[in-house]
Amino acid sequence: MKLLTHNMLTSKCMKGVTVGYPLKINAFDVKVSEVDFNPEFVSRIIPKLDWNVLYNAAESIGQVEDMPKSIVDDYENNTDFLKKVHRVLLEVEVINGELVCPETGRKFPISNGIPNMLLNEDEV
Amino acid sequence: MELAENIIQKRPEGLSSPSKKKQRKYQHTLTKQTGAKCTIFPTKHIGICNSGLVNGLSEEVVYEHFSKYGKIEQILMLPGKSCCFVSFDDIKCSTKAFNNINGVLNIAQYLKPVFLSFVENIPESLIEANLKHDSDPPNGLIILENFITDSEERAFLALNDFNRLGSSLKHRQVKHYGYEFKYDINNVDLNCPLEEKIPKECDILWERLRIAYPQLIFVEPDQLTVNCYKPGQGIPSHVDTHSAFEDPIFILSLGSAIVMDFKNDNGDHHSLLIPQKSFVIMSGESRYAYTHGITPRKLDILQTKAGLTVFHRAIRVSFTFRKVRNGKCCCKFHSKCDSYLRTHEKSYTAFGQLAERVEETHVHKVYENIAQHFSETRHKPWPNVVDFIKSFETGSLLVDVGCGNGKYMNCGQNIFQIGLDTSISLLNVCREKQYQVLLGNCLRIPLLDNVADGAISIAVIHHLSTEERRFSAIRELLRILKAGGRVLVYVWAKEQKHRNEKSSYLKQDRKNRRCEENEAVSNEKLTLVDGVEIPIHTNRTQFKHQDVLVPWKLKKNSGKSLNTGTDESQTFLRYYHVFKEGELENMCAQFNSKLLHSYYDQGNWCVILEKK
Ligand SMILES: [Zn+2]
Repeated sequence: MKLLTHNMLTSKCMKGVTVGYPLKINAFDVKVSEVDFNPEFVSRIIPKLDWNVLYNAAESIGQVEDMPKSIVDDYENNTDFLKKVHRVLLEVEVINGELVCPETGRKFPISNGIPNMLLNEDEV
Repeated sequence: MELAENIIQKRPEGLSSPSKKKQRKYQHTLTKQTGAKCTIFPTKHIGICNSGLVNGLSEEVVYEHFSKYGKIEQILMLPGKSCCFVSFDDIKCSTKAFNNINGVLNIAQYLKPVFLSFVENIPESLIEANLKHDSDPPNGLIILENFITDSEERAFLALNDFNRLGSSLKHRQVKHYGYEFKYDINNVDLNCPLEEKIPKECDILWERLRIAYPQLIFVEPDQLTVNCYKPGQGIPSHVDTHSAFEDPIFILSLGSAIVMDFKNDNGDHHSLLIPQKSFVIMSGESRYAYTHGITPRKLDILQTKAGLTVFHRAIRVSFTFRKVRNGKCCCKFHSKCDSYLRTHEKSYTAFGQLAERVEETHVHKVYENIAQHFSETRHKPWPNVVDFIKSFETGSLLVDVGCGNGKYMNCGQNIFQIGLDTSISLLNVCREKQYQVLLGNCLRIPLLDNVADGAISIAVIHHLSTEERRFSAIRELLRILKAGGRVLVYVWAKEQKHRNEKSSYLKQDRKNRRCEENEAVSNEKLTLVDGVEIPIHTNRTQFKHQDVLVPWKLKKNSGKSLNTGTDESQTFLRYYHVFKEGELENMCAQFNSKLLHSYYDQGNWCVILEKK
């Protein structure tokens, strides 16, 4: 699970959960692998993100490095900044761990990079 | 037309070389798809290489743009193909059309330019296949031309003032006499007759009919529905509810001619011109076994061996006369008979509580078991799905709901794709290629509202076993989309023969023995619980039922790495709800979304919706 994916994930489909966002991450294995950098792609993704959620997620798994706490001005032309965001969004990946619903504490396991978001009959 | 002028931009000085390369590629595809020989020398025949029915190009649009350059002899649209042909009366016109349109006119999908090629001629076999559905009316349909005079027509039209009518459907204005036809239940309420009976001015019709057609047995109708269609309006394909009305049904057409399409379960398709002032008798097979409908458009193009005739529609008013039925229908056309289906097929309402169990056993578990074999046989992406994915710009977020082994997960360019599936085995295949995937159910997508630019649902919704669940699945897809986001949905069609063309699913039966109707079709059924049975479908045949179990045979040894514990060949039954023509569209019409495109492709009904 990349942090870009995490930025959109919610547990709100569960019975009794109203927002279910953001999901807390307990990471057991984190992999960082190189992904081709495309500045245009990253620039266009940034306005679609919940930046605070991204930053806190990166911080919680110890992968924030020197990415700024807020989006810099004129980021489209700031290759250095875009590269840092690129790394956090696309290169960092939680392979094993769990996601935790902020309202109920329900844990969703992550294994082989796949979050298991299936719900039991009594949870829907 | 103003629109057309805006679309045609200035023609560049000679095509740039990437365009030339593209053009050669398209010409090659045209030849491969149709067998037509491309030539650089002008001929009367032009092939549109990169757009056809599956891309949403219609005969009407082709006519509108090409007829500006001269008299068109023929337009040939090919079902299931992304190309088509236009023939002119002479080479001067075709050359003019070619020079003005090629690579410039943006009428291909996603407003891209069309690429043309002259062809030596149009293969005869294609022309014949296309003519088949235009010829004779279906059994039981009789068109009596000039049934009324001009002054009688005026008198009938004067009976209704449509500007004053209150009741209006989305597509047309309607008024009922005798009994009200209720569109929500598709029936009349016998206990609530209307005050207004059929106007006595209509009586002349019955006397005249007895003289014109003495052998016809009929009871005078007691229900009349008057419809008013403006040019561009139509009515979806439907069968008049068997249990609601007797046989025959009569239609009087006023104001304008129109083309009506008749289709049956065998894929027979008749496009018939219903002339102004004509009286149609719809009886027997044409009343019971055929759907009829009017395509919403402003002009009708009729193609016969004699050539091409175009009818511009005017306001048409139709009087549909029916005799209300008391009791059940006893016809022999079971697949379209609500009376038969109600008594003979177990109601699937009992299915409601079973839905999750059916899907667990006959969808999710089956995919787990056949995952490896399934993945090995499902690697060729469908071109129109790929085109849809490629239409998203850099930085878009696209969700593949029901991604399976991920065959569409790397089709996009510079977009971010997330896949969702219920099969962990198939998702593990995705992970080998580093795709971003989630284990989850399409009825509860674990993503925020209004977050995705696009979504696809390819061959997924037909695995849901109640209408309510299928409806919810589309609502879920729209929920995760941003306003203006688009979703593409493919579901398996009940009609595996469309416009006389067999789908590849039927064609794959090499021996072709079982393709013909009623031959060697199994009557096997599987009992789920007491009283609820699902028929088992015979592979590579037309579907007889909408809710079926489709066998998947896992051959010896192909399952060796799976935990089946045995080495023998095993058959797994997958549950499907195959969709009838119009069913998916009707379902989608209930959402706050715009239907951008709907088509038939690879044996599937397909729609593209845009969230409002
Ligand atoms: Zn019937």
